[in-house]
Amino acid sequence: MIAMVDCNSFYASCEQVFRPDLWGKPVVVLSNNDGCVIAANKEAKEMAHIPMFEPVFKIKDQLIKNKVAFFSSNYTLYGEMSQRVMNILETFSPRVEVYSIDEAFIDVSGMEHITLKGYGTVIKNTILKHTGLAVGVGIAPTKVLAKLANKLSKKVMKFDHVCVIDTDEKRIKALKWAQTKDVWGLGRKHQERLKNIGVFTAYEFTQLPLSWVRKEMTVVGERLWRELRGESCIEFRTMPKTKKAIGTAKSFGRKLEDLERIEEACAYYISEVAEVLRAQKSCATYIQVFVTTNHFSNSDKQYTNSCTVTIPVPTNNTFILTQEARKALQRIYTPGYRYKKVGVNVTGLIPQEYVQGNLFENTKLHDKRLMKVIDTLNHKFGKATVGSALVGTRVAEWELVKKDRSKRYTTQWKELLELKND
Amino acid sequence: MEYLETGKIKKEEARHEAEVSKQTGFPSPATHYLEPSIDLNKELTQHKDATFYVRVSGNAWSQFSMLHKDVLIIDRALTPKAGDLALVVQEGVFKVLRIPVGGSKISFIVWGTITYIIHCTS
Repeated sequence: MIAMVDCNSFYASCEQVFRPDLWGKPVVVLSNNDGCVIAANKEAKEMAHIPMFEPVFKIKDQLIKNKVAFFSSNYTLYGEMSQRVMNILETFSPRVEVYSIDEAFIDVSGMEHITLKGYGTVIKNTILKHTGLAVGVGIAPTKVLAKLANKLSKKVMKFDHVCVIDTDEKRIKALKWAQTKDVWGLGRKHQERLKNIGVFTAYEFTQLPLSWVRKEMTVVGERLWRELRGESCIEFRTMPKTKKAIGTAKSFGRKLEDLERIEEACAYYISEVAEVLRAQKSCATYIQVFVTTNHFSNSDKQYTNSCTVTIPVPTNNTFILTQEARKALQRIYTPGYRYKKVGVNVTGLIPQEYVQGNLFENTKLHDKRLMKVIDTLNHKFGKATVGSALVGTRVAEWELVKKDRSKRYTTQWKELLELKND
Repeated sequence: MEYLETGKIKKEEARHEAEVSKQTGFPSPATHYLEPSIDLNKELTQHKDATFYVRVSGNAWSQFSMLHKDVLIIDRALTPKAGDLALVVQEGVFKVLRIPVGGSKISFIVWGTITYIIHCTS
């Protein structure tokens, strides 16, 4: 049996743990550059009809009028709280698959001697007590069913956030309740196609002949069909997935015009990306750089462009990546515009042990040791302690000030939660 | 002899040689008495994933020996018993109180049990 555990409105909940004055009140979290709403809790979704992914400046008045508390995203806090939840889950099962920042599958087979409903309830209560975060638990024989059980645990009051599908009767009841859109991994295109042939519920989907599903929906559809019928065919991964592409793009704190500053920001993002590459032991083959002006401004001239370069020998070396990105940036930079954002993406990721050398290129293998020293120093003394000189020392001049970000309560001694008592 | 070839003696990888290697004369008499140094994380926190640190601002809680700028260690995994110090929430506001014996008339939600008060003397 597999349990799917996920946190309710995770980002908003992380903020609320430290703000009891906001318990039961609407809370939203804004994207990294305060551009749009990326998360909202139940109260915010219910009362204010806040459109997700809507630019903040368009709805700020609405937020204030409805007394919705808003925060800039505080990924340091969310990441640390997530780690706590995952650590606690590991005390409940030897096999935990961290699926995302706020969701995990855990293997609960071998726990049949106790009631699974009881086990799920203990998991839920422990996480709430230890971290202050509310979770939902769905337990079922397959991942897709566990995900469905998780959904039911929140939608059906009597389940009280723990739902177990352990008999065929319960499975069929759940399938009849679920619309095709409630099935994990069933995309909108497939939902449309199913609707056209009169299939609306998950149950109806599982009653289709397998040959049809295989033909019309490929192996992906077949897997869902089997999983919903209780046959487990999506494997359990305990190792994190390696990313296929890594990118970062953030708006500047103010508009930038000169190439030099944009280069600094670009180099800074490259150092972030390169660190992620090294952490997962991958090398990048292509690097894409893009720049854009502020499309919401009526007075500014608009410009957007991107450039992708192939790196001669795939690498995760910060300095080589920085040089290549700089070349790309110089090709697309055009003076006379007020730039709002620069972004970098690396793709064509391959495991570092499979990198093929190039006869005409000088591959500096000893740089690996340098990279290791850089990573160690930055880990120990804080982000960007050492790195490429191109990053410069003027990060503060262009980095976005997240003025509504909460404190990093759990990672910074100087930012602890303050209890004012007078 | 065959076993000599196959059964090569492998060097132990983790050898505790630091305390003897620096000495040229007699081995340290402390060799067999060495213990790891005191680790406050281990001593002051029982449940790492349920532990939070918070800072007191103001002197209104001096009755609990908590002064301005003191740091409290809060363990959310513990359930405070009567007489324990707890950080609680009352009408949306954090309060510190000693859990009363025999129940309480006022209602509050326990946020966590206060296990230690860290006070800086300077």
